[in-house]
Amino acid sequence: MKGSIDVELTVNGKRRTVTDNATIATLLEELQINPLRVAVQLNQQIIKRDLYERTPLRTGDVLEVITFMAGGAS
Amino acid sequence: MKSEAVLERDAPESGDTLKFGGREFRSRLIVGTGKFPDHRTMQQAHDASGAEMVTVAVRRVNLDRTQESLLDYIDPKRYALLPNTAGCYTAEEAINTAMLAREVGLSDMVKLEVIGDQRTLFPDNEELLKATKALVKEGFVVLPYTNDDPIMAKKLEDAGAAVVMPLAAPIGSGLGIRNPHNIRIILEAARVPIIVDAGVGTASDASVAMELGCDGVLMNTAIACAKDPIAMATAMRHAIIAGRLAYRAGRIPKKLYASASSPLEGLIE
Repeated sequence: MKGSIDVELTVNGKRRTVTDNATIATLLEELQINPLRVAVQLNQQIIKRDLYERTPLRTGDVLEVITFMAGGAS
Repeated sequence: MKSEAVLERDAPESGDTLKFGGREFRSRLIVGTGKFPDHRTMQQAHDASGAEMVTVAVRRVNLDRTQESLLDYIDPKRYALLPNTAGCYTAEEAINTAMLAREVGLSDMVKLEVIGDQRTLFPDNEELLKATKALVKEGFVVLPYTNDDPIMAKKLEDAGAAVVMPLAAPIGSGLGIRNPHNIRIILEAARVPIIVDAGVGTASDASVAMELGCDGVLMNTAIACAKDPIAMATAMRHAIIAGRLAYRAGRIPKKLYASASSPLEGLIE
C-alpha cells in the first residue's frame, strides 16, 4: 500500500513505529503531547520548535522528548 | 491578620529585593516541586511560602500514561521557573540537560547540579566548574549548587555564575547549617548573591542562613515532606523574612555575663 512503509525509531528509550511521512510534529500529535511544553532531541541534536513540522523521521532515529517534572534537587 | 500584613510589607517596602541575572524578587525563598504528596498540596504550599521562583527537574515525558502536567499547577505569571540538572553526574550531561530545559522554554536560568556521589549527593566541583563556564558562554543565568567551600564559591563566581548556592548540609538531610563559619567566609568575599541550597530542616535553619547574611534559601524536602507542608511553607516564609530583618537590624554582640536591661537607679529599698 502506498505511503505505508513503516519507519522504526526509538522514542524515550522505547521502540516505536510510525508511517514514512511522519515528522516530529505528527509524532507529538500522535502521542498527545503539547509541543509548547516539551523539548525534542533527535539523534542527540536539539530541534527547535518551529522546525518540528519540517523534520521528517527516519528508521533508526533516536528521539528524546523532554519536559519539566516535579523535583527540587538530585 | 495584622501580623501577616506587616510581614508582607516589610521586605518590599524597604526595597530590599533579591537581584540577579536581570531579575528582581521580593521573596528570598525558592521552593522545589518534588516529593509533595500531590500537585494540589504543592500548589497550596507554594502559595503559602510566598516564593516567586520554583525549581523543576528536566525529564523524559512519560509516554505510557497520560498524566497531569506539573505545569498545570504552576502559574508562569506568578512563579519564575528554575530548571535544575538534578541527577547529572558529568558536565556533559548537565550542559545537555540545561540546553533542553531552555528549549522547553520559559527560562534561561539553570540551577546547575553535577553530582559526584549517589550516597551523599555532594557535588563534583571539577565538573561543576566546567559546566558553569560552558553554560555562561551559552548565555545562561547559572546558579551552581556547590559545597560550603569558599575557594570553590569564588571560582564559580569568577566563572560567571549569577548566584552561588552552597549547601547547608546534604540534600534532603534536614541537618541545618552545618558550617556557619564557612558560609560567613563565602559571604565576606562574594560579589554575587549567595543562596543556601539543600539541608534545611526547619524554620530556624532558614532563619540562621538569613541571619548570617545569605541572600536567600532554596528548599524542597523540608516543606514537601513535613507533616503539614502548607503550614511548614508558611513557617518558612516567616523564617526567611525574620532572619533577613534580624540580619539587617544588626544583632547585639554575644557576652558571657549578664547585662541588666533595667536601670539600677530608683530601686525600691
